[in-house]
Amino acid sequence: MTFRIHAIVLALVVAVLSTAAIAAGPSYRLEVNGLACPFCAYGIEKQLNRIEGVATIETDIKSGAVIVTMEDGQVLEESRASQAVDQAGFTLRDFEEIGSPAGAGAP
Amino acid sequence: MISHSHDGPFPFWLRAMVMSGALAPGMVQAGAQTFNTALPVAEGNFVFREQFLYRGASDDPSPADRDLSVSGAISVLGYGVTSDLTLFGALPYLDKELTLDGPGGQRLERGSHGIGDARLFARYTLFHDDAPGRTFRIAPFFGVETPTGDDHAADRFGRLPPPLQSGSGSWDPFGGLVLTYQTLDYELDAQLAYQANTEANGFAFGDVTRLDGAVQYRLWPRQLGGGVPGFLYGVLESNLIHRDNNEFDGKGDANSGGTQLFLSPGLQYVTRRWVVEGIVQLPVVQDLNGTALEDDVIVRAGFRVNF
Repeated sequence: MTFRIHAIVLALVVAVLSTAAIAAGPSYRLEVNGLACPFCAYGIEKQLNRIEGVATIETDIKSGAVIVTMEDGQVLEESRASQAVDQAGFTLRDFEEIGSPAGAGAP
Repeated sequence: MISHSHDGPFPFWLRAMVMSGALAPGMVQAGAQTFNTALPVAEGNFVFREQFLYRGASDDPSPADRDLSVSGAISVLGYGVTSDLTLFGALPYLDKELTLDGPGGQRLERGSHGIGDARLFARYTLFHDDAPGRTFRIAPFFGVETPTGDDHAADRFGRLPPPLQSGSGSWDPFGGLVLTYQTLDYELDAQLAYQANTEANGFAFGDVTRLDGAVQYRLWPRQLGGGVPGFLYGVLESNLIHRDNNEFDGKGDANSGGTQLFLSPGLQYVTRRWVVEGIVQLPVVQDLNGTALEDDVIVRAGFRVNF
């Protein structure tokens, strides 16, 4: 009985995580020049959050990188990312898509 | 001695504390605490800064044994119109108290409290050079100190002299240039500023010229990991401030004006959304005219919020 309950819970967790992974859209790595303090990082994150379809933003101040993950079905254009970084007062050095939704593009 | 003098028993710099750049806090980004910085405010973002302060002066070269204390707070709101243009408004609230020996030897006390003169100014980033983990910026700023404070306050001895009033009654333009070089490990700021004080009620405070510098060094974390950790900075700032003589009915007051140099150690903790900070300004050189009262210490502490 206990084994069955554990199995059901595990199955539910796997199902939820799988759904979340599938629901997430592509991720992008933005390398930003000029980012050198935590207070400034907030300005960039706020500008990027104004873009429609942005799901999560993670900043790594040491490398000056900002990882932006979009919602399912949404994409981030480089020109829009550059505009947001510029509006925050900084300079976009590099833009790269680093991940796609699970299963996307699979044969 | 109290009511007829316009600056004799009242320190010339009191004016600067209330209404000029000496007490005006820096801009509201992370950066220097006693003057400005050129770091950006993102377009559409607000930053708010509250700085509490105490200033004491009791080193009196005159026989009046003057003792002055000023405490209060300065509120500053900044708004990023664009990534290059930021508008600021600063409003002080100060409680000023001066005690001194009266003509009969009795101890007298005069003072005021209330909202002072608001400062409105704009800063424009003229040049910036960004690279990985560092930025260099040059930004001129211009503004005006507006006569929002009461300049007709009186006590039982009569109308308070201009330096003890909450406001000046005059419109005083100011401007300057600030340079900032910031890396992940440290930040350097330098500023040159000038304020032209105009006449009101027959009195004009001396114009103020100042040269400021600041260095901030990241004390913690020593090694950066991932994410955006809070930074604890050790701070050392300096302020070289020169004030011209005050003028009463067009005549210069020999007991006002002069030059001061402050050195100021402090700490600042910076996160994404807020900053807490404190600094102690110590006068190391005071070449003041006549019987102008010398500073003992200025203490500032406060916070900033990003939204």
